[in-house]
Amino acid sequence: MTSPLAGRELLVVTGKGGVGKSTLAAAVARALAAGGRRTLVLEVDPRETQHVLLDTEPSDGAILAAGHDVWLQNLRPRDEIEALVRRRIPIALVARAVAASPVFHHFVESAPGLKELAILGHALRLARGEIGPGVDTVVLDAPATGHGVSLLAAPLLVAEVLGDGPVAQLAREIAAFVAAPDRCGVVVATLAEEMPVQETLELAEMLVTRIGRPPDLVAVNALYPVWPRRRPPGPRDALELWRQRRAVNDEELTRLRGHWRGAVAELPLIAAAAGPALVATLAGELAPALAIGGAA
Amino acid sequence: MIATPLAAPLLTVVGAGGVGKTTLAAALGVVSAEEGADTLVMTFDPSRRLKDALRVEDAAGDRVVQVPLEAPGRLDVSLLDARATFDRLVAQYAPDRAAAERIYRNRFYDQLAGHLAGVLEYMAVERLFEVAAAGQYARVVLDTPPTRQALDFLEAPDRIVGFLDSGALRLALRPWFTTDGRLKRGKVRRRVADLLDSIVGLNLLRDMAEFFQAFAPLYDGFRARAREVQRLLRDPKTRFLVVSAPGEARIPDTLFFARRLRQGGHHVAALAVNQVHPPVGRDTGARPAAPADGVGVLAWLAERDARGLAALRRLVTDGTPVADLPLLPTPPTGLPALGALGRELLHRLDAAPPPPRGRTGRRRRG
Repeated sequence: MTSPLAGRELLVVTGKGGVGKSTLAAAVARALAAGGRRTLVLEVDPRETQHVLLDTEPSDGAILAAGHDVWLQNLRPRDEIEALVRRRIPIALVARAVAASPVFHHFVESAPGLKELAILGHALRLARGEIGPGVDTVVLDAPATGHGVSLLAAPLLVAEVLGDGPVAQLAREIAAFVAAPDRCGVVVATLAEEMPVQETLELAEMLVTRIGRPPDLVAVNALYPVWPRRRPPGPRDALELWRQRRAVNDEELTRLRGHWRGAVAELPLIAAAAGPALVATLAGELAPALAIGGAA
Repeated sequence: MIATPLAAPLLTVVGAGGVGKTTLAAALGVVSAEEGADTLVMTFDPSRRLKDALRVEDAAGDRVVQVPLEAPGRLDVSLLDARATFDRLVAQYAPDRAAAERIYRNRFYDQLAGHLAGVLEYMAVERLFEVAAAGQYARVVLDTPPTRQALDFLEAPDRIVGFLDSGALRLALRPWFTTDGRLKRGKVRRRVADLLDSIVGLNLLRDMAEFFQAFAPLYDGFRARAREVQRLLRDPKTRFLVVSAPGEARIPDTLFFARRLRQGGHHVAALAVNQVHPPVGRDTGARPAAPADGVGVLAWLAERDARGLAALRRLVTDGTPVADLPLLPTPPTGLPALGALGRELLHRLDAAPPPPRGRTGRRRRG
């Protein structure tokens, strides 16, 4: 066993679009805060949605309070990189000119791992209390593009490509942070359907290959209620749909557990639209899984 | 699909990830072949179940495989392998083998694709152009890649042309480095290079400069190709089917996407809302009593999806047909089931209210 997920400094919530990743990230934050951890949700999607889930205003780059012991920030990786430029070039005018030049723009867009490094570096500084309200945990609602693997593998890649220099050093430091099982945790959000389970298994394998560690928890979202032993009353078509959709869920859960030996949290399909109420319910469902450690 | 909005020689199925695009593209392919048209379905990364359903489980990347379907028309499937296509194009446009090798070996080449969203997928669509030019099929059904925002895919040609046109390329082509690997002099170059060096070091910079220089001979070929693919996707004979997940929360995205497609000069033939929870023959009017009450949960979902569908129909004012497809108890597992799904979609499009008079459904921009 490793340390409980609830005690880590950074929890990265990843998964494909459409599986409820952002809702689960918000729920993780609420569950941690309920357990006494000061928690900040870091969102990197320029199309902000976390504020709806956490019942606050759009962050627009700022750190906002979002209820008891929860904060929200929507981070623009480009702003982070420009801040890095400003720290290197003390003359504001020159720094602005450089940051505005198309060469710089394309460099930032295409340089391998730079944006990802900026995101993780920012999370690390937040968790250390160097910036922000002094939080215990940062929950990163990771980008949905790719598998989230490229985000976590970026520090290693940058360190390897650059070899030396200040950024390479920073990259190595962040890589060590991401690799430390007692400091950083990875939660994969998925559905008990064929493609999401397949992608989750591939993601788990790639994490081991690329950064040398498996995820800590697979959170299976939106499971239809368990089909009861005695056929319940109700309209025939609805009962049949329920029974068969749950059978698909069961088949895929079995397949997942057959290949993935780590911790699994099974979360029910809740009759509520994406919003604070759904987040609160899921936070209660997730709490037990966060209190225990992932099987190493 | 004869006489339906989807009767087009090139049919492109688009939408966010996880909405069932690939299955619907395959379903429409089956119907098309059953109606006698030689049809090619071009798809990305289908599920194992769908490969089994099409009986193409052994199909390798980039190859065209015939589906064993008893039908008047032939049905082929091609599983797109984006990286293989990119590599092939490099080989095709590079002046010689050595130039191609320089690109393959460059560390930056590996990264380029991942960081210019949609470029690899776009490269795979180059294949579409080849297929269309060969004229072997009466109809091609294109399943688009699962990008986070489906627009990434359509904007990729603009992005790659912009990238190639950018100052980064031009600057890189005036080499920053002397033959012995030292930075050349020059004020502006020096300023940017010094800065980038202080952040990321010279190694990476050298890799990038090398990459762009190696890429330069390919530039015109890529650019011309990107333009042609753009033209093909905007041709009136190319129609788009926009697929959406059900539920009110998805409606704004779907509308936004359809609008952007039109603004980009594309022809949206229809919207399909997939996996709609069917009405439960029970008037609940309220939340289920307990989470374990499956019928109650389904009733809630059915009401949610019905609201979403009604909102979409209300908001689509330009006459584009909107079809809803019910959530199936299990995903389709064979050619007959796929055919049935395709016919159901066409039937529901037929049954969709006709466009109001005086509107063409192809609204002008503005």
